[in-house]
Amino acid sequence: MNSDSPVVFVVDDDFRVREALSSLISSAGLRVAVFGSAAEFLDYEKPDAPACLVLDLQLPGTSGLELQQQLVGGDAPPIVFISGHGDIPSSVRAMKAGAIEFLSKPFDDRELLQAIDSAIDRDRIERQKRSELAELQRHYNLLTPREREVLPFVVAGFANKQTGADLGTSEITIGVHRGQIMRKMAAKSLAELVRMADKLGISRAAGTA
Amino acid sequence: MDVQPRDPAEEIKSLERCINDLVSVLALPAMWSGGDPSRIVDTLLDALLGMLQVDLVYVRLKDPGGQAPIEMVRCPPSQKQMLQPHEIGEALKQWLGADAQAWPLLIRNPIGPGDLSIVPLGLGLQGEMGVIVAGSERADFPRQTERLILTVAANQASIGLHEARLRGEQKRVASDLDGRVAQRTAELAAANQELRKEIADRKRAEEDLRSSEEKHRLVVETASDAVISMDDHGTIQFANPATAIIFGYDPAELVGRPLTVLMPEFMRELHDRGFRRFLATGQRHINWRGTELTALRKDGHEFPVEVSFGELTRDGHKLFTGFIRDISERKQAADKLRASERDLSLIIETIPGLIWCAAPDGELTYLNKRLLDYTGTSHDDWAKQGWANLLHPDDAAPSAHAWAHAVATGQPHEVQFRLRRSDGVYRWFQVLGQAARDSEGGVVRWYGLLIDIHDRKYMEEALRESQAQLSRAIQKATVGEFAAAIAHEINQPLAAVVANGQACLRWLAAQPSDIAKAREAAERIVRDGKESGEVVRRIRALFRQAALEKIELDLNEVIAEVLRLLNDETAKKRITVETDLDQDLAPVAGDRVQLQQLVFNLLLNGIEAMEPVVDGLKRLSIRSRHSSPETVLVEVRDSGIGLKDPDRIFDAFFTTKENGMGMGLAICRSIVAAHQGRLWAATGEGPGSIFSFTLPAKAGLAS
Repeated sequence: MNSDSPVVFVVDDDFRVREALSSLISSAGLRVAVFGSAAEFLDYEKPDAPACLVLDLQLPGTSGLELQQQLVGGDAPPIVFISGHGDIPSSVRAMKAGAIEFLSKPFDDRELLQAIDSAIDRDRIERQKRSELAELQRHYNLLTPREREVLPFVVAGFANKQTGADLGTSEITIGVHRGQIMRKMAAKSLAELVRMADKLGISRAAGTA
Repeated sequence: MDVQPRDPAEEIKSLERCINDLVSVLALPAMWSGGDPSRIVDTLLDALLGMLQVDLVYVRLKDPGGQAPIEMVRCPPSQKQMLQPHEIGEALKQWLGADAQAWPLLIRNPIGPGDLSIVPLGLGLQGEMGVIVAGSERADFPRQTERLILTVAANQASIGLHEARLRGEQKRVASDLDGRVAQRTAELAAANQELRKEIADRKRAEEDLRSSEEKHRLVVETASDAVISMDDHGTIQFANPATAIIFGYDPAELVGRPLTVLMPEFMRELHDRGFRRFLATGQRHINWRGTELTALRKDGHEFPVEVSFGELTRDGHKLFTGFIRDISERKQAADKLRASERDLSLIIETIPGLIWCAAPDGELTYLNKRLLDYTGTSHDDWAKQGWANLLHPDDAAPSAHAWAHAVATGQPHEVQFRLRRSDGVYRWFQVLGQAARDSEGGVVRWYGLLIDIHDRKYMEEALRESQAQLSRAIQKATVGEFAAAIAHEINQPLAAVVANGQACLRWLAAQPSDIAKAREAAERIVRDGKESGEVVRRIRALFRQAALEKIELDLNEVIAEVLRLLNDETAKKRITVETDLDQDLAPVAGDRVQLQQLVFNLLLNGIEAMEPVVDGLKRLSIRSRHSSPETVLVEVRDSGIGLKDPDRIFDAFFTTKENGMGMGLAICRSIVAAHQGRLWAATGEGPGSIFSFTLPAKAGLAS
């Protein structure tokens, strides 16, 4: 298994469940790492690979739902919740917070493995997205402050002349900036640059003209 | 004399020897002096044998007392054969009774062959004393000298024997006299002794008499009974001091008056008639040994007495002495006793208990009316059938068995049975039988009581039912609060089992199969499966949904109910239960069954905590009060083993008891939580622990 092969994290306070899940998941050819509590999981140095978190709802200390809250927004792997007794309010909260699946113990292996697979797939996609964005960001970081000022006007479809007027410079200077932007961002067309700007979350300039 | 011619020297010598011998013979009596006949004969024979040349000398002495004659014989030492005197006597027998003149001169020799020449000579004037016989084998026997010596010797012996016989006679007479004198002396001594003894006896008797008279006088003087003597005219001769107390007369005042003054009017004529008849015929008109009569006091008051009489004849006159005892008190006591017996029997007949008595062998001897009325039976029915027909068929045999045991051992009889009422309905009775014993401890009677416990019995059943409800309440109370915990408990191992099972299958289905991993998974299945089985077993009983039903409750009442339920338990375990309940306690809003359960569990917990206490005091106390106007506090204190782990004791399945499930206190916590209260445990100042809970007092109802 190379470092890119997916890994499944299991957090459950019950060692019997940890043992069983470890065996079951590894039988599906996946790497497994098990943890007895949220804290143990958080301390762990995660490998750079698509992953999935199988998380018990009831945990001593930080509960499953609390851990989910802490992980939101980070690059944490998607979560498959498992619970000793699946009460409806908990499952609703978990799903709203982005859980892949909410399984009541005992659960079917296919359900679990399917949930793990989709979680890993999603993670793989997320990871892809994240790496693309990171690439764009790297390109974006190459832009000078003046070029970053110009970019919103370019992606908003303003002509160089109008942009020059708005920014108080000449049409020719704007043209030079645009060329630099296209080159630094490795954009082959204006349309591609527009999509890049969207991904980077750069809003288009409203312009005065 | 047929003296043969011989040598004159020889002749002279022979005569000289003869003279010597005669001198010796004549000297013999000197030796005999004081001797007895046998000694005389003895020396005579020896002398003759020494003097004469004979082969045999025999003497036979007649005994004057008519006893066996004395026989003696001598033979010279040359004689080989020693002869016994009676053998010679036998040989001479035919002549012994005859006169010596009639004897032959020659007999057949009894001691050897041939014949023997003999010389028989009678002893005494007429041979009345016996005979002496000398014999020799010599043909010339006896010579003249020999005959002379023999004759002289016989004469000497006769005289000696005669003297000896006289002496013997004298001696006998003298000793006879001595004996008689001694006997007489002894008789006199004995008589004297007897006389002395008689004198001593008489003296003692006189002393006894004196002391006895003294004693009797003392008895009479100090007796509490009146002692009165009268003569044969019926006139009083004597009255003791007690008479004054009993009759009110001074004793001296009575002497000389007729006995009849001590009798009420109606008895006097009767007495006189009876007394006259007695004097005439000896026929008594009353029993002299204790008769109850009516007496008359000096003040005219009549009262009951018991009279005994004795009679004495002195100097030809009869003297009668009466002993009169005032039995007023005894009569009253007897009347009282009779009345009390009447009361008692009335009580026994009327109290609402069924009573019986039985003989020591168990046979019924008495049944009170209530028992007869209840069963609708008569004494005859009981005599015929006993209990047998009246008991519930299921109870008859055990009851009979228990009764037989009680009768055999004398131990108290205690049994419960159903007894049929006259209308056919069976009711439960508690039977108590107790043996009454004599001073030696032997059973004299059985007393028995039947108590109707029918209603109580059913109340007991209701209580038991209530207890059962409480234990069911364990289930009710737990479900709401523990469903999650239980689901978790059961789901964890179950999830593991399922996941392991699936993993196992996957390891087997893999290409190639991973047998080792499959095996590990399978082993985990077995392990976790067993464990979940254990969990299931522990919580199986706990599932049953029940809604909490809150009503207004007095906690003191709840406590009292639970204490009643635990009464048996605490009594059995010798636990002292103390209660300190605030009578002004405000009511709380709660579910009766759950709060009973709460108190029950806390008390039971305390009881169980004291289980290991062997010698210390087992004290369980429960207290209720207000910890604030809005809060009611209940404390349960025990003197048990105390708490080791106060933080964990309320956890489900946490237990320090071998048979506990660890649910009791967890349930308590859940109940208290459901009632918005608080429950905590602490270690007491002494041994043991304190469990406390608070509940909010019902607003607006607090006193």
